[in-house]
Amino acid sequence: MTRASSLRRVVVAGGSIAAVTAAEGLRLQGFDGDITLLAEEDHPPYSRVPLSKGILAGREALGSATLPPVAGDVTVRLGATAARLHEEHRRVVLADGEEVPYDGLVIATGARARRLAGPGQTGECVVRTRDDATRLAARLDTAGSVIVVGAGFLGMEIASTCAVLGKTVTVVDRDPPLRRLVGEWLADLVVQAARERGVEFALAPDGVQLLGRPEVQAVDCGDRIATADVIVSAVGDLPNTEWLADSRLPLHGGLVVDERCRVAPDIVAAGDVTVSRTHGGPYRRSPHWTSAVVQGQLAAAALVHGRETPLPRPDPYYWTEQFGLDIKISGEIPHGQPPTVLAGDPRQGSALLQWSLSDRPVAAVAINHRLPVVTLKRLGGRAAGPPVMP
Amino acid sequence: MATIEVDRDRCEGHGLCEQTAPEVYRLDDDGEVELLVGEVPPELLVTAEAGARVCPVAALRVRR
Repeated sequence: MTRASSLRRVVVAGGSIAAVTAAEGLRLQGFDGDITLLAEEDHPPYSRVPLSKGILAGREALGSATLPPVAGDVTVRLGATAARLHEEHRRVVLADGEEVPYDGLVIATGARARRLAGPGQTGECVVRTRDDATRLAARLDTAGSVIVVGAGFLGMEIASTCAVLGKTVTVVDRDPPLRRLVGEWLADLVVQAARERGVEFALAPDGVQLLGRPEVQAVDCGDRIATADVIVSAVGDLPNTEWLADSRLPLHGGLVVDERCRVAPDIVAAGDVTVSRTHGGPYRRSPHWTSAVVQGQLAAAALVHGRETPLPRPDPYYWTEQFGLDIKISGEIPHGQPPTVLAGDPRQGSALLQWSLSDRPVAAVAINHRLPVVTLKRLGGRAAGPPVMP
Repeated sequence: MATIEVDRDRCEGHGLCEQTAPEVYRLDDDGEVELLVGEVPPELLVTAEAGARVCPVAALRVRR
C-alpha cells in the first residue's frame, strides 16, 4: 500500500533540473494527480551547465540550453516565486499573495550566486542564471581584461572561456586553485594548462574586497590591488531558504533532508537548496547536476512511497571543461597522492587516472579520454548494481 | 510513433540518459550514446523522455 492514494495535488516549488526531474519522477512512480511547478524565472526550465562555457563564449545559442518541454499534464507556472510556506494549511504563498494548495510538496528552490559587492556598489558579474550569462557576455564584448574571483570549477570555467575570447584574465582566490576540490596533483595539471593560455593567478589568503563606487573596478587582494574592465565573482552560492524562515522546517545552511530526501510529512526536497549529513557528520551540500537529478528522482519516489523507497547507491560523479581539458571525475580524489596512470599520458593532455587508498580504488578521472561513464565509475570504486533495499 | 534525436556534437558522454533509462539509451565503448530502440514504443515513452531530460547538455529530444 503506497501513500499515493492520499496525494492528489503536488506542488513543486522550483523550476530547474531538480524540480523538473521530480515532476517527471512522480509520473514514473505512477502518480496521476495534479502537478504544478512554480518556477521563479521567466525562462522555461534550462540547464545551467553550458552557461559558463558554450553560451558565454557565444558558440551556442541561449535557447540551446532549454530542457525538453515538460509533459503536457504538468502545469509549469513561470515567474511564480514562492514567498512563504503555510505548513498547517498546506499552502505555498506566492510573492503576489496568491496561495497555492498542495497535498504533497517538493521543495527545489535552488540557490543564488553569492556576491561580494557591498551596499552601493554595482557592476559585479556572476554566472548563475541565463540572464547573468547574457549580462556578462555583453560586458565582455567591449572588455579587454577580466578578474575572476573564485578558483573553483565555475570560476575556472569562466576564466577559461574569457581566455578563449582573448581577454587578459586574472583569477584570485584565498586558496590555491581547485585544490580543495580535486587535490593538488590534478589541480596543478589544470593550473599549468591555464598558465600556458596566459591566465595569471593571485592568492589572497585573507580574502578579497571589491573596490570602486558605484561601479566596481578593482579587487584588493591584500598584498596588491588588481584592476580590470570586468569583475566576475564565482564564490559559491546561497541556498534559497528565506521563504521557509517562518516555517518549522529544519534549516542548517540549507534545507535539511534525510537519506531519502524527506523533510517533513508530505514534504520532500531536492537539488541545490538541500543539505544532508551521514552518521551525525557535518551538514554537506552537493550542488552538482548529477546530485540534482538523483535527488529529484529520489524525492519523487519518497513522496509517493515514503520509507519504503529504496536508497540509491552513493554515486559521486561530476565534470568540468576548461583550458582544453575535458575532465570527468568519479569518486572523491584523495589529497596528497599522485594517481596511477591507466591509459594515455597526462603530460600529453589525455589520460585515464585512478586513485587508491589501501589498495582499494576510491576515484577515477578521465581527461580528454572518452569511455563509458559506467566504466569510469567502476574504476572509481563504485560498483554498478541495483539500489540498496531498506 | 515517437522518435529520438541525438545531437552528436553536443553529447559529452556523461551517461545520465543511460542511468535514468537503460531500456532506451546505452553508451558504447567510446562513450557515445547509442539508441536501443528505433521508434519509441508507447510503454517506453515516459522513460525515454525522462532520460532525455536529465542530459546536462540538452543533446537529446524525443519527438512525439
